[in-house]
Amino acid sequence: MAKPIAKLRYDDISEGDEAPVLHHELTRTDLVVYAGASGDMNPMHTDEVAAKAAGLPSVFGHGMLSMGILGRALTDWAGVGNLKAFRTRFTKQTWPGETLTTRIVVTGKGQVEEGKRVSVDLTLSNQDGEVKLDGSAIVAAA
Amino acid sequence: MALNKEQVIGLPTGAATVHVERGPVSKFAQSVTDGNPIYHDLAAARDAGFDSIPAPPTFTFSAASHWGVFPEDQPPDPTEGRGSPMRKIMGDLMKEGGLILHGEQEFVYHKPVQVGDTLHQEGKVVDLYSKQAKGKTMTFLVTETVFKNDAGDPVVTARFNLIHRK
Repeated sequence: MAKPIAKLRYDDISEGDEAPVLHHELTRTDLVVYAGASGDMNPMHTDEVAAKAAGLPSVFGHGMLSMGILGRALTDWAGVGNLKAFRTRFTKQTWPGETLTTRIVVTGKGQVEEGKRVSVDLTLSNQDGEVKLDGSAIVAAA
Repeated sequence: MALNKEQVIGLPTGAATVHVERGPVSKFAQSVTDGNPIYHDLAAARDAGFDSIPAPPTFTFSAASHWGVFPEDQPPDPTEGRGSPMRKIMGDLMKEGGLILHGEQEFVYHKPVQVGDTLHQEGKVVDLYSKQAKGKTMTFLVTETVFKNDAGDPVVTARFNLIHRK
């Protein structure tokens, strides 16, 4: 039975704490790689000609790629396998050339039958502070 | 088009048996910019408490079924060949134009997903509603997909909220 090791110490966590921030500059290659790895072949993400024909300035990022980058920030911080719930709302499209930045802020902590839990709010924003995705998560702590 | 919530809630969206394999998991991790060795090095995964290489948190959204569905062990089609009602509902809305957007996504994790797992996936419609915003009509369709292990225990529950905006 897998028993993922929690990286967070419950007693050391306080409301308002922030997880380490990740930055990622989005490229068109990222979108092609994500399309191939996920199977999401919507041409609006990979075919610049089709995207422009549809009236868009360029291809745009998969929402689930944004969520994946936030997932990386969460698991880097709390340890892989320690994510218990993860929800996001996709508020704006992401565009190649933008630098995306994660923000994860502790909103509370508590104990459930299965163990110690920390709740967080999260966002992914571009270099101008425009929020692309917001949401929340619950992670396990030791 | 008349949207009848009562007619669609509970309708199956599909079912599948999904195999979790090492190549897809490792490449999917790279595709979300995650270079954590846990996703490609078995020793690193075991050091972190796993039996096998684990999948990243969003792997069960499309990637798992894209790579892991093989014809020989698929369950009967709960839609009886009609396909997901999502396609019909969104298709009917798109006849009047507009745009389809992924509005929200939620995962609840019950157990880790690991390489070597066989997952049994079943989805259904859980909500359908409309809102007016900035002079546009937003129609929200929510589906819930549960992935269970061979023992029948839930591993991941995923909720998908798709928006038609016109």
